[in-house]
Amino acid sequence: MASLSAHENKKFLIVDDMPEMRSSLRSQLASLGHSRVAISSNVKTAVAQLEQDSFDVILCDYFLGDGSDGQQLLEHVRKRKLISRSTLFIMITAEKGYVSVMTAAECLPDDYLLKPFTADALKLRLESLLDKKARLAKVDAMQDKERWPEVVAACDEIIASGDRYQTEARRIRGNALIACGRFDEAMAFYRQVLAIRVMPWARFGLARAQFAQGELEACTATLRQLIEEAPQLLSAYDLLSQIQLDAGQTDDALHTLDQACEIAPESLSRHRAIARVAEKKGDFTRVESALTRVVTKTRNSPLRETADIASLGNAHAEMGAPEKAIQLIDEARKNFKSDADDPHLAAVEALAQHKAGRPELAAAALSRALDTTPGSLPQDVALRIARACLATGQQDKGEAILKSIVQNNPESTAVHAQVTEALNVHGTPGRAAALIQEGVQEVVALNNEAVRRGRAGELGAAAEMLTEAAERLPGNAQIVSNAAFALLLDIYSNGPDTVKLHDALRFQKRVTMLDARHPKLADIAELQRRIRTKYGQTA
Amino acid sequence: MRFAALAALSIHDVKNRLALMAARAENRGDNETLRDALAAAGELTRLLACYKAETGLLRPDIDAFSPADLVKELVTETRPLSQLDILGDSQLAPQSWFYDESLIRMVLANALHNALRFARQRILVTARESGDWLELCVADDGPGYPPEMLANPARPAPMSEEGVGIGLYLARHVAALHENHGFRGEVSLDNAPGAVFCLKLPR
Repeated sequence: MASLSAHENKKFLIVDDMPEMRSSLRSQLASLGHSRVAISSNVKTAVAQLEQDSFDVILCDYFLGDGSDGQQLLEHVRKRKLISRSTLFIMITAEKGYVSVMTAAECLPDDYLLKPFTADALKLRLESLLDKKARLAKVDAMQDKERWPEVVAACDEIIASGDRYQTEARRIRGNALIACGRFDEAMAFYRQVLAIRVMPWARFGLARAQFAQGELEACTATLRQLIEEAPQLLSAYDLLSQIQLDAGQTDDALHTLDQACEIAPESLSRHRAIARVAEKKGDFTRVESALTRVVTKTRNSPLRETADIASLGNAHAEMGAPEKAIQLIDEARKNFKSDADDPHLAAVEALAQHKAGRPELAAAALSRALDTTPGSLPQDVALRIARACLATGQQDKGEAILKSIVQNNPESTAVHAQVTEALNVHGTPGRAAALIQEGVQEVVALNNEAVRRGRAGELGAAAEMLTEAAERLPGNAQIVSNAAFALLLDIYSNGPDTVKLHDALRFQKRVTMLDARHPKLADIAELQRRIRTKYGQTA
Repeated sequence: MRFAALAALSIHDVKNRLALMAARAENRGDNETLRDALAAAGELTRLLACYKAETGLLRPDIDAFSPADLVKELVTETRPLSQLDILGDSQLAPQSWFYDESLIRMVLANALHNALRFARQRILVTARESGDWLELCVADDGPGYPPEMLANPARPAPMSEEGVGIGLYLARHVAALHENHGFRGEVSLDNAPGAVFCLKLPR
């Protein structure tokens, strides 16, 4: 084992709302020879420090006052990638029971430290955790770069060595197998781990692999068993509710999320999930109650999200309280400059002003919402803008946005249902079927034309056409994957081209994100291999 | 139920104060106060664990940990608190084993604090692999367990004047929560001739 001297000169960040605990930790670290120590008293300053600087070790108290906690901070900084995997995050708590809820591995701290502890105990724990980080450095670096096959190989090395980190390596290996689409292998691997010992992470890994493979019934059974075995594993509820939601069982999905909330009442992400499901169901009372909680808790905190304000405002408007929605949005804009031009908030404001009987203000808000190209916005925001257009009488604009939403997801019945619902409520009922058909046909025609040109040998033209379509319809896996393939085919036939290669890789990554099992991905990988054979590794 | 929630919050608050007290004592080198603060915090941890055990809420969070690290940490933490020789032996310990680290630490810390009171000169904490079991033992050179404790080891004795009871009750409960392929962990007490507390966890 390496001595502390191997870990000297590390940079620490202490996050604790109690001044005396902060200074006590600082003096414990000083007695261990650590002098590069920064201090934060709350989530806001901690996030600011993490944005500016990188740290080797974060010592964070679980309770941070003002209703925020260390788990929320951890989830936030991991989600925004403010800390890399090489940073050690240690959660300090007086009572493990409070924090014994478990979530996805990437949202877990590296360790929990129970108060009170002596400086000597802290020293030993730091040494052992830093040793572990050092042993996993290569695995972590590859994970940060999302080079999954290399992660698998690096884990295999550790597992073969049989050292004390092999269980950690197994956990990461399974996750990497799923991330690079090797679902069958992942399932077999998790089953093998489970045969030795039933561990919640392995059961959950099996469920994720089954989900990714589309084995939804088996996945549901695995999740039910997992909830039985380890009711504190929140991720199980998240995935189960997603399956239920996809199957249109909104009541079941809500029930599952309620169960998770009982276990972790402070979890912001679950309240947000409840609001999303309730909104799909049209249950705005629940949207209001879930998001009022989130918005109140995150006010003036970096954990705040503009989308929460938009959805809550929308719920107020839908519940017949448009003034309340307008007030909420005004307040948000006053406190956060970046919200001033937010298209999502503008769309909700347009709807609220319309409902409040002020058409001029509604039109003004809508034109601000339309300043951003709707195609570049997330689908829920685009949908919100489309609804606002329809509600305020801008039929053409609303329908154009809806059509592009359909073209981004031509096969998703869930999206078709949302588009239909929007048209039924705010637009022309009965128009939906024709609009969806038009949208889908346009995409099919475009695709066919590209294929025809490709076959005719006009590879450059086909690639250009599909690239343009892929930029416009970033959610359409077929178009985006065909664009990647066409670009690579062009490169294979006509020689390497940095810009085209860059676009092809970007599109390939995008398809993997949209649908890791997309059949075209194998063709793309094969073509890349051929390009490398023909032009060398650099291509 | 309301009282339980209130008690849990109070325990949390008191532990925070004890943590501050321990930090101040450590700063000025006052090991007696530090020892008492750590012991008091440990008592509260066990109290809460006991409540959870009785209401079925004590769920183990089992993962792979290093028994050698655990022994080293316990010994290092305890050594400054006493004049006794406190030794750790992990020569025969496995690289890693599966258990709930915080629960096992709680049980062993309790055994160690008991040994502090009865040992004459030395305490030995060992971790070793024996067949399909991990054995974590705390042995002292004191007078040993009273005969009635050894006679009826299964007797649940949450209350006793020595305060051993709640610890032993909890130790057995925690041991039994560690189950794999039908094998459950167990606790054994022995005099050799000093008291030997042993926690066995299945592979």
